[in-house]
This record gives sequence, C-alpha cells and structure tokens, in this order.
Amino acid sequence: MKTIGKGLLWGTIAFLLGVLLLGGVRLLFGRVFWEEEASLMVGSLGFIIGWLLGVGVWDYWAREWLNLPLRQNKSSGLARYFTFNTDHKVVGIQYLVTFLGLFLLAGLLAMILRLELMQSGRDYVDSATYNNVMSLHGTIMVFVGVAATVGAFGNYILPIMIGAEDMAFPRLNALSFWFVPPVALFLIASVFAEGYDTGWTGYAPLSTETRTGELFYNLSFFTLGFSSILGAINMLTTVIVLRAPGMSWGRLPIFVWAVFGTSILSLLFTQFVALAMIMNMLDRAAGFVFFDAAQGGSPLLYQNVFWFYSHPAVYVMILPGLGIALEIIAHFSRKPLFAYRWAVAGMMGVVALSAVVWAHHMFTSGMNGPLRIPFMITTELISVPTGLVFLSALGTMWEGRLRLKTPMLFALGVIFNFLIGGITGIFLSDVPVDMQLHDTFFVVGHFHYTIVGGGIFGLFAAIYYWFPKMTGRMYSERQGQVQFWWMLIGFNLTFLPMFWLGMNGMNRRIADYMPYLEGTNLFVSLSAFFLGAGFLLFLYNMVYSMVSGPEVGPNPWGARTLEWQTTSPPPLLNFPEEPVVVSHPYAYGGVQAKEHAVIPVPAASD
Amino acid sequence: MNRNLATVLIIWLLLSVAGIVWLGSAAIFPPSAASEAALIDDAFRLLLILAVPVAALVLTVLGYSLLRFRVAEDDDEDGPPIHGSRPVAMGWFVITTALAVFVVFNPGLKGLNELEAVERADPLVIQVEGEQWHWNVTYPQHDLSYERALQIALPVDQTVKFEISSADVIHSLWIPAFRMKMDALPGEMTTLYVTPDEPGSFETEPTLRVQCAELCGTGHPRMQMGVRVLEGAAFEEWLAAAKEATGGGMQMDMDMDMGGETDMEMDMNGGDGNGMEMDGDASMEMDQ
Repeated sequence: MKTIGKGLLWGTIAFLLGVLLLGGVRLLFGRVFWEEEASLMVGSLGFIIGWLLGVGVWDYWAREWLNLPLRQNKSSGLARYFTFNTDHKVVGIQYLVTFLGLFLLAGLLAMILRLELMQSGRDYVDSATYNNVMSLHGTIMVFVGVAATVGAFGNYILPIMIGAEDMAFPRLNALSFWFVPPVALFLIASVFAEGYDTGWTGYAPLSTETRTGELFYNLSFFTLGFSSILGAINMLTTVIVLRAPGMSWGRLPIFVWAVFGTSILSLLFTQFVALAMIMNMLDRAAGFVFFDAAQGGSPLLYQNVFWFYSHPAVYVMILPGLGIALEIIAHFSRKPLFAYRWAVAGMMGVVALSAVVWAHHMFTSGMNGPLRIPFMITTELISVPTGLVFLSALGTMWEGRLRLKTPMLFALGVIFNFLIGGITGIFLSDVPVDMQLHDTFFVVGHFHYTIVGGGIFGLFAAIYYWFPKMTGRMYSERQGQVQFWWMLIGFNLTFLPMFWLGMNGMNRRIADYMPYLEGTNLFVSLSAFFLGAGFLLFLYNMVYSMVSGPEVGPNPWGARTLEWQTTSPPPLLNFPEEPVVVSHPYAYGGVQAKEHAVIPVPAASD
Repeated sequence: MNRNLATVLIIWLLLSVAGIVWLGSAAIFPPSAASEAALIDDAFRLLLILAVPVAALVLTVLGYSLLRFRVAEDDDEDGPPIHGSRPVAMGWFVITTALAVFVVFNPGLKGLNELEAVERADPLVIQVEGEQWHWNVTYPQHDLSYERALQIALPVDQTVKFEISSADVIHSLWIPAFRMKMDALPGEMTTLYVTPDEPGSFETEPTLRVQCAELCGTGHPRMQMGVRVLEGAAFEEWLAAAKEATGGGMQMDMDMDMGGETDMEMDMNGGDGNGMEMDGDASMEMDQ
C-alpha cells in the first residue's frame, strides 16, 4: 500500500509540475496558463514518470546507480502483492488479479449495453453515455485480451516451465506490471472527462473532435504499449537464454512457444499503436493536423497505422489461448502432443502472416480497390497455419485417455468456439461478402468468438489448470464444471444470433436499432445476462477454494512439464537446484517414457 | 480400417451431406434488391457450403473423442505413445492449403471480378454527403438537391453511381438490401456502383435504407435515409414532381415532398415518441 501511495503522490506532484511547466511557458509567450487538453496531456505524461519513479524506479534503479544507500522492499505475505516485487510469481499474480478485475468491470459494462439493446428505442441511457460505455467495454476488454494471459501465466508459469529461477530481467518485469495501474487510472479519468465516442479503435477524425475522454483513451493505450513492449523483451530473452540444460527448442512446452510467438508480435508491432495514439493526441492537444483532410492530413493514415498493430494484436490475444488449449489437451489426454513440430510451425506461421493482413479491416474504407486483393489472399491463407493447431488438438485427443476435468473442458471449449470464430473470419476476408458484413454485428459475433471464445476461454482453462500450482489448494471440481457449461452455453446463445443480426442489417456500435430486429436482440440480451451471472460462481469458487480448498501436492494432474515437479506453490527460486531436462514434455505412454526432467537434490548440509 | 476411423468417417459424411443440403438452400438472407446483392449472397452461400465439411470434421472428431475416449477422472493410465504421423500432417497441410487457395479464387477473386464487371455505363449519379448526423443528397443530372434528406428514390434496373463524401468525420453509406457499403471520407470522394433490380420501399422493407455504418458520434444509429426503388415510369413521375416542388433549386426535405407518415423515425420509435436523444440539428429533423 505504501508503494501505491508513494506512486500516487509522486505522480500527482509530477502532474502538477507538468501543468506548471507548460502553463509557465505559455504565459511567457503571452498565452493563457490553462489549455485544457494540452495541460492535461503534459500533466499526464508527467504523472506516468512520477508514478514509475515513486513505485520503484527511484529505489530500484536510480539509488543504485547514484550509489545512494539501497532501500529495496523486503515485504512478504499478502503485502508483497502491493509492492514493486521482482519475483516473477508475484508479478504473475499481480497481473492476474488486476486483469480479472478489469475483465469483470468490462463485463458489467457489457451488461449495460445489452440492457439498452433489449428493446428498440432509447430506454435507459442516452447516446453519449452508451457510446462511452461501449468504448470503455471494448478498450478494457482489448487490454485484458492483450495482457491478462501473457501477463499472468507468461510470468508465473513460463519461467518454471523452462526450468528458470526467474525472468531474465526481474526488475524490468516488475516495471512492466507497474505501468498497468496508470492504464486503469487513465480509463477512469476518461469517464470524468466526459468519456469518448470512438470505441476502442479511435478512428480519426472523430477521435480528434470527440470529448476530452478521448485524450485519456490515447494515454491509456500508449501506456499499456510500454508495458507490452517491456514484457515482450523480457519473455523473449527469458526463453532464449534461461532454458534449463537439456531444454532444447524442440522440447519447449507448447505454451512457451505460444508466448514466444505472442511476444514477437508485441515487440515488433506495439510501437505502431503507440504512434497512432501519439499522433492523435498531438492532433487534439497541440494543433497538429496528421488526420485533418482540410489541412493536408489523411484520415486513412490513422487506420493504417492503427491496424499495423491492432491486427497482430488479435493474435496476441488468441495465441496464448491456443497454446494453453494444446498444453492441457495433451496432459489430459495423456498422449504426446500430436504433430508437435507442425503445431509450432503453425503458430509461427500465424505470427508471420499476421503482419501482412491489416488492411482487411479497411475493405470498405475507400482504400485503393485493387489493393484489397493481396490482403484478401493473405487473410485467407492464415487459415492454413491456424488449421495446424486444430490438427494437433484433434490428433492428440484421438485414441487418448481423456479426463474431462474443468481445465480440459475449457480447452475443448477453445477448440469449439475458435472453430466458429475462424470460419466466420473467412466470410469477412472475402471482399464482396465483407461489403455487406463489415461494421455489422456479424463482425461483433466473429471477434467475440475468437477473442472471448478462444482467448478468454483459454484464460479460464489456464486459471483452473494452474490454480492448484499457484495456491497449493484445489478448486471445487463440481462448481468448475458447472461454470464451464454455464459459460459455454451462455456464450454461444449470446453471440451466435449476432451473425444473423449482422446479415440482416444491424450495424455495430449503436444505442438503438430498428424494431424488426427486436426479438433477436431481446434473446441476445437475456443470454448475455445469463452469461454474466455465471462469473459469480467462478468468483465464489476461486475465493472459497483459495482459503479452504483441499491442499494438494506438487502434481495433482500427473502432468509431465516442469512446473509440476516443484512444490505448490513453488519456492522463491522455483527449484531446489537447476533441473536438467532429459526428454520431451509430452512423452506420455509406452514403457520407455522417462521423466521429463531430473531435479538434483541439494546437498543436505543444512 | 480401424473401427473408430470408420465410424467418424461415416458420421462426418452424413453430417456434411445434411449440412450442405440444408444450408445450400435455407432462406438465410434478408430480401435482396440489387444485382450486386445476388452476387454477394452467392459468395456467402458458397463459403457456407465449403465450411460445412470443415466444421463437420472438427466437430465429429471432437464429439466422438469426447464420448469414445473418455475415461474416469481419476484414471491415471497413459494413452498410446503416438507422436504424430507424417502422412496425416502432410495430408492435412496440403488439403487445407488447397482449400484456402480455392477460396481465394472462388468466391474471392471470381466474386470480386463479377462485382467489378456489373454494367456501369450511363449511371444515374447521386452525390451523397454525410454530415453529423444526416445525409445531404444531390441528383446532379436533374438539378435536385436535398439537405438532411430522409429518403432517396432510385430507378429499378438502372445503374446508380453514388459519389460519397463527408463534411466532417468518417461515415459509411450502407444499404443492407443491396449488400453494399462504402465509407464517406472527409476531403475525398469515394464511389459505389449499384444496380437496384427489385422495386420496393423502406416502408415495407426495413433493409431498404441507407444506414450509417461507421461510428460517427452520438447520432450515429439514427443516421438513416429510407430507400425507394421505383419502376421507370414511377421514377420519372417522382423526378417531375420533385423538380416542381423544389421550384428551381429551393431545397426541401424529401419527406415533405413525399408526404405521408413516411419518415423512419416514426417506425423506429414505434410512434411512442420515446426517440433517441439527439443534439441540435438532428432533433429538429425529428420534429418536422
């Protein structure tokens, strides 16, 4: 708590300094002191710097560099989760809890949207409020999609899976988490600055004209970008240099490969969205005209730069979910991961192709017509590497010995939902069909099937799968299974009818629609409420089991990967001694199956 | 052949055939009112038919495995040590690639080509300008111009060229019954060709409307115009009446010209006056 207080204090001071500095210079040149957006922008950038110095940069880097006496925190127990802590397991929990909180918040916002859309006509909220709620729902959920799984399990589990003591850069790791609170603060600030209209995509020039909340959306996305890039550098370095002896690339668990691919995308592409956000802020607050057609700017420029990142970003949201699904399917089928190398190649193929599909978001934007052809082709080809992941999942289950526990159910849910998400993607990638479907509820259905059906179901699979590892206790299996079926049914009832709505003339991001669409919308809304209510059961299960679930040993699933060969939860440096990997993580079955890794017992000197 | 494989194969074939028969003819589209719409529906239908065996395969293997290979939750025996199969992986890769390439050509390139090849000579030009939150419509060949138009009239079986622009932010002109949309950009003109092929009116068919499809602010959902597709003679009559009514360039709202209870807002509210809150100019439009 002291850390947060100090961060807020230093941040506020830096905010005021920023405002004063800008105001002072403005006064010098004969302008008024306060210019709302410019002052807020400079102040907020100051806040980020002050906050980071306050929470740990000063204590962890500056003092050491300047040879001042060190003051690093030694807290333990629950308190350490509120400090700048370099233990990757603490950082993982920090990410998980923070983003689960944000996920539930954005889910509540979705309930408001569906409440308004229950009937045609304006019923509960005015359009400005609706747009604001819709924009926040989208923005927060995208942030959750980008950061939750990698942040939580990339941090907590990945280093243990490869036999490392921690991440390659533990302090940088803590820093990438502490970028997150300002992200949330800016989103809250956007509400107090009248909100914003633009959805999570922030298209210019609406974004340069809408309410001041837009500025905070820009700041928020920009700040999250820092966190993603730093996190990606750390993940890549960790996987490249910290693998235990014997952990060759060909023996990496598939989840590690998924995070590796995700991190390549985050590292290479996040800068583009930061650029889009900076340009938009400068248009708003500083009188630049990047996107103002009347002054030589280009609205399409924004879309291009934005989607340079934001298409790869959807794979940032999905790949970890696919990785988790394959990981769990192998362990719960008790069979080697089928066509492991093909699956890895598939993931890397997705990573490569995702760089060259961005303009499929712009087929009806007025972009150069023939240029749509290459993007249609690359987009349709991306189904090939994705298909290899399906091959691996199905091949692994085939003739396996399936134990349908909650994590396995969620993993199979990923496969089922992502099948629908992937196939509907082909419809959207076809230029003529997209002329009808673009910007309709068909698209809303499609991306919820991929990002929620794939990514978020994957997140839940991961939470259940690694819950005993992280807490040392077991969740309630019965409640877990009930929650799975509840979520699967609620999810499909909510999003399947959206395809019909889109085909029949319901465009996205609207607070109101024509009466002929009312019946289906009512059904969707009721399903959405049902879906939303199911998360209460999840919360109850997690909280109750964390406190009084039955205690478990190191390996309740009998899985082979390294995180199950240490205590639950693992000790500070994960293993008593550095493990030596001697065989493939998925070498189930057959008499010749050896252990995946040997962990030397430390000399019993003390 | 092993029994599991044979069973899956049979279920898959049955499911695929049933799915193709059903989806190959099921009425899944809203009314179609333009020749482009027929092309686009055909492309959609083809994709749907191609998707059936793919989805059926995954679902069959998934479902069969769930039922057939399930063991007790506390079972701890391993499955067979099958790490993969080169022919299966290679075959999967080749077939999915072939399918993707096929889709690129048909309906992809073929459909796009057909869409471009639709007759475009001597179009009726209609300039549509999006403005928060209404459309301004001009028929330059007929000296007709409407600000805040609530309807447009189009002749059947004649190509229409929409010249689309925006006065402020990005909008998008979408007519669901035509299956076509194109964004309206500030500072640039975009075009959309469409040939209505079925007379009709938004009063009976709500997909016959221009709907803004790009988020443009608070009035976005209500940024609509009704579309009337008229037979040749009826369209000429309408033109003559419209010219008469505007009396040489005076601009009036089309709903006033057309008279009657025709504006979409009424339909949308169900007549209870519980309309959307809109600011400034847009609410005036509702009051008219």
